[in-house]
Amino acid sequence: MSTVLLHLDEISRRYGAVTALHPLSLTIPTGARHAIIGPNGAGKTTLLHLIAGTLAPTEGRIVLNSRPITRLSPAARADLGVGRTFQHPAVVDQLTVADNVALAIRRRLTFAVHQRAGHRALRAARVAAALQQVGLTGEAATLAGQLPYGRRRLLEIAVVLAARPRLLLLDEPSAGLDPAEISHLTAVIRALPAEVTVVLVDHHLPLVFDLADTITVLASGQHVATGGSEQIRNDALVRDAYFADTTPATTRAPRKGARPTVLDIEQLSAGYHGAPVLDQVDLTVSAGTVHALLGLNGAGKSTLINVVAGLHPARAGTRILLDGTDLRASRTARHRVALVPQGRRLWTALTVSEHLAMAAAAGRRFGAGDGPGRDVADILDMLPVLRNKLRRYPAQMSGGEQQMLAIARALLLRPRLLLLDEPSEGLAPQIIDQLTTVITGVANDGVAVLLAEQNQRFARAVADQISVLDSGHIEFTATTAVLARPDAQARLAELLGVSTAGTVA
Amino acid sequence: MTTMTNPAPDTFTTGSAERRATADRAARRWRHARRALGAVAALAAIALPALTGPYLITLAATAIVLALLAMSTQLLAVAGLPSFGQTTYLGIGAYTAALLAAAGITNGPALLAAAAGTAALAAAVLAPFVLRTRGVTFLMVTVMIQGLAVAVAVHWTSVTGGDEGRHTPAVTLWPGDPLTSTPVIYWYTLTAFAAVGVGTAWLMRSRLVLLLRAHAGHEPRMTALGHRATLELGAGYAAAAAISGAGGALLITINTYVSPADISFGVAAAGFAAAALGTALAGFPTMTGALVAAVAIVVVRDWAGSDGTGPLLLGLLLLTVPYLRPAVLRLRARRVNRPGAAA
Repeated sequence: MSTVLLHLDEISRRYGAVTALHPLSLTIPTGARHAIIGPNGAGKTTLLHLIAGTLAPTEGRIVLNSRPITRLSPAARADLGVGRTFQHPAVVDQLTVADNVALAIRRRLTFAVHQRAGHRALRAARVAAALQQVGLTGEAATLAGQLPYGRRRLLEIAVVLAARPRLLLLDEPSAGLDPAEISHLTAVIRALPAEVTVVLVDHHLPLVFDLADTITVLASGQHVATGGSEQIRNDALVRDAYFADTTPATTRAPRKGARPTVLDIEQLSAGYHGAPVLDQVDLTVSAGTVHALLGLNGAGKSTLINVVAGLHPARAGTRILLDGTDLRASRTARHRVALVPQGRRLWTALTVSEHLAMAAAAGRRFGAGDGPGRDVADILDMLPVLRNKLRRYPAQMSGGEQQMLAIARALLLRPRLLLLDEPSEGLAPQIIDQLTTVITGVANDGVAVLLAEQNQRFARAVADQISVLDSGHIEFTATTAVLARPDAQARLAELLGVSTAGTVA
Repeated sequence: MTTMTNPAPDTFTTGSAERRATADRAARRWRHARRALGAVAALAAIALPALTGPYLITLAATAIVLALLAMSTQLLAVAGLPSFGQTTYLGIGAYTAALLAAAGITNGPALLAAAAGTAALAAAVLAPFVLRTRGVTFLMVTVMIQGLAVAVAVHWTSVTGGDEGRHTPAVTLWPGDPLTSTPVIYWYTLTAFAAVGVGTAWLMRSRLVLLLRAHAGHEPRMTALGHRATLELGAGYAAAAAISGAGGALLITINTYVSPADISFGVAAAGFAAAALGTALAGFPTMTGALVAAVAIVVVRDWAGSDGTGPLLLGLLLLTVPYLRPAVLRLRARRVNRPGAAA
């Protein structure tokens, strides 16, 4: 019989009039692998904040290892063995990868020189071990801010593991990771010592079912069910609350007829600090079609999107044409190129309705020639999740709701070219299906869409064409129909590191 | 495009290696140039009394005190804390040294250690209050502290001598041998500055500064790892105060006098400007940047602008550097990004 490590006693959290989490009781034994799943806005991240101490519960008690910790600061809880990752990788961008990990390895004050030397050697060894654990050894001297998004997430996991927590809280650890990295992450978590307790929030259900022995389902801040993975899979309530239609997504029917090219990229090269990331990439996107970029983390997907959006400089020799004219980085709004960036980049001081008003004003200004276009009401019909949150600030919304807002903001710009950098990241399966409908609808209106994705199922559901980026160049481009052929499947699996079946979520 | 295409392998690796080699070479050249410049500057600083008269020597000594004030401000900038109030600790150091000297303890290194220690202690006491804030609020709190320090210096006449200030006996290195010649005072100040500089260089490589940078970069991450922000930033705050306090002891060595004017708003502004300018030079807070900027400020304000144009020239300096830097960086980036840059 295992001992209880964490006990939550009727904890709840309200933000003003909004209840993010209704009273919830949970008992998690030592060594458990406990997953928390639920749709966006279910209160999952709030729950992790309450356990880690970054938020205080409005009511209720938290007991760790028979000790009440409700009033302890996050740092004091860390001393008791609570380690956590954040929804967005929390690493210090200005420090190297190795220095980030070194922060986790703390020591008691000691003044004896020989002891200090011993500490230094010990710390270096533990840093090296933590980096090896997640496969970042080669990037030890790289600044964390220069790592691709997914690698930053792995770094954060290395940092937390290096602190040797007894209770590990992981907030969407697989978001933004490519399939190979997800398998690696699964292996890392599975290899943790049996006495380490893991509480995991994630939308990637294969990972959840693979790792968790117990699953708690939340929806709209309420507890729906807690049980073993089989039990949860078969629970009717849970299916209604969370699981999307589990039939495989259909690939899009190819669009008929010739369509004008909207985006024409020729010989695109770009890099960071002298190190090239993209090398002479050619790519086109036609009006009314969706072009998806797949590739491992670090392949250059985000860099490509950012160069087109004018956020990152291209090297000499690059040509980016929009409807046949040169796209100037400083005038992307005028050219009506809209971006849904990775990490959302919402305005923290503006409410949802202010975001929408701002974007609608820009849309009217630059898109006046195209007739009425979509207005705020149309967008709210399209993304109903935002409708009753118009007065909220981004910080008061869940990750998925923030993503919806970022998409709404981009659509209100009446784009001719819509760029999306991992739009499905952090979204619950049901919402991903909604997103598929939204993007398909946008393309049907004649907008050219270029998106970077890790979620292949989603990419294949929305895209007309898929390009696979590998080490800075396009390895191949194919229609989704061609991609369904076994030879193409094999090539894709080889390039992305796993079989495509593993990414169905 | 309905068929799969496999583009031919390109020159990706070659191009990458060449570009990186160019960047490495440029970095190496810049490192060598910087070292050479540093050596020339150090030699010039040592030889200064042989090259020029007492006025410029005293000015150079003043630059050293401002440099310490700037370095103290810069250490907090590294921690993400914009401080305007480091003159407070300069004052605490200076008045400590003045009181000790009046009581008969005139040994230079002893005054230096006492001034630095007292300043650090005062900072440690104030830290829990000051460090409840961050960013602009922190800046405003430190402005208040600077103002309060001046008020205390003006009104606590029994200790500070009020507006009249305090005259002190000359500092000694050996008993009965006061430092009175301008070059000797300058060389002692320079040596003391070098010692503090070595200490600061060691500090910048220490675990403490790593923690300060990490707090500046991502405080929630640090807290989640169990780091106590007030404790660790407080240690940095005390270390910064010690550097400022050492500057106070050197002020007494140079002037044998201290008054509230030495810790006035203008002095605080010059120290803050030197740190900000030093950051603008390098793009991030560096000690060398703060030092170079402090010297530049004294040269422009007190030497080139000794005819009354000082504030104007200082204003121009403070505007030019931040405005020119992005242009210089763009030019450098263009050179590195140019195709065939390795050739």
